[in-house]
Amino acid sequence: MRVSLGDREAFSLLYDATSAKLFGVCLRVLNDRAEAEDTLQEVFVKVWHKADQYKANGYSPMTWLITLTRNTAIDRLRSKKAVNVDIADVHDLSDAAPTPEADAIASSERQRLNNCLNELDADRSDAVRRAYLDGDSYKDLAARYDVPLNTMRTWLRRSLLTLKDCLSR
Amino acid sequence: MSQEEDHNDDTALAGEYVLNLLEDDERAAFEARLVAEAALRDRVREWDESLVDLTDGISPVPPPPMVKDRLQATLFPETIRRKRSLWTWLAGSIAAAIIVGFVVLMPSLLQETAYEPTLTASVAAEDGTLVVAAQFIAETKALELVRETGDARPGRVLELWLIAEGSDAPMSLGVLPDDAETRFTLSLDVAQQLTNGVLAISDEPPGGSPTGAPTGDVLAIGPVTSL
Repeated sequence: MRVSLGDREAFSLLYDATSAKLFGVCLRVLNDRAEAEDTLQEVFVKVWHKADQYKANGYSPMTWLITLTRNTAIDRLRSKKAVNVDIADVHDLSDAAPTPEADAIASSERQRLNNCLNELDADRSDAVRRAYLDGDSYKDLAARYDVPLNTMRTWLRRSLLTLKDCLSR
Repeated sequence: MSQEEDHNDDTALAGEYVLNLLEDDERAAFEARLVAEAALRDRVREWDESLVDLTDGISPVPPPPMVKDRLQATLFPETIRRKRSLWTWLAGSIAAAIIVGFVVLMPSLLQETAYEPTLTASVAAEDGTLVVAAQFIAETKALELVRETGDARPGRVLELWLIAEGSDAPMSLGVLPDDAETRFTLSLDVAQQLTNGVLAISDEPPGGSPTGAPTGDVLAIGPVTSL
């Protein structure tokens, strides 16, 4: 009574159905095609090996895949930064990149995060986006907004709590 | 700290964890707590589910075919068939795009209808504890459902969803009644999205999901197959 597919066929279908979105995420975070391709491959190797974890963790399937992809891309970005010390280069790259998320046409449910982010000061919602999509650390953010590290952390934690309040309204 | 402060602290901490903002030692300490604390894992999942919407505006970009070739060469260097694993289920729940079929025969339903069904699905739990057979009659736009095995959890209901081809947002088709056999008449718009879609059943509070998206566990899924 189940889908009569071999694992590999199912895996191939899963790849065909989701790889374009996940590759888009890799490109957005890494801004580098070769790195994005390697990351996408790494993600699907993890999917193949970790699928049994998925079932137990209660995530919706696309969230699980996108989160895995984003985390893998951020890890790669961070290791690249560690080699490249010059964080400013990476920032310049991401500043120059278009921000397609700005033109997102989302359903009302999906708008909720955006609406709640918009309730924060622009700098503060921007910091959350930068951490999520650009892998900025507290150090990066403190430098960008020109505030001490501890202040940055206090800001961001407060923003997260405000955001959470709004999201659970 | 008061209980509320603890709660807030963990909420912010989980957010920082999801945003990869914790230093290595903080991160390690947090991950150690995650293993033991289900409530903390829930906070992390809530942040993941919320913040993933930041990727909504990212357009899909088809990767070059070489990536898939390389991936398959890495994972399947030989041709030994691996044991079936759970992610067949995962694939089914997402890969609405193209599903190779199976056929379920439902003699009782076939006898009742003057028209031949054009689409069918077996919406089944991985462990077989819930099985709902579905078939769609194009002429009447009737989706006929037979709950063959399983029941709603006590005080809860079963809600049927359609994940249309190319979409990852489930669309509610309705709450299944207590009767084992039922029939939903679909609008033309929904009917047209059945082909190559995936049906899923989730556990919901009485009256169905209050949010328009599944809120409880996804109990069963099955791809829609053309007959």
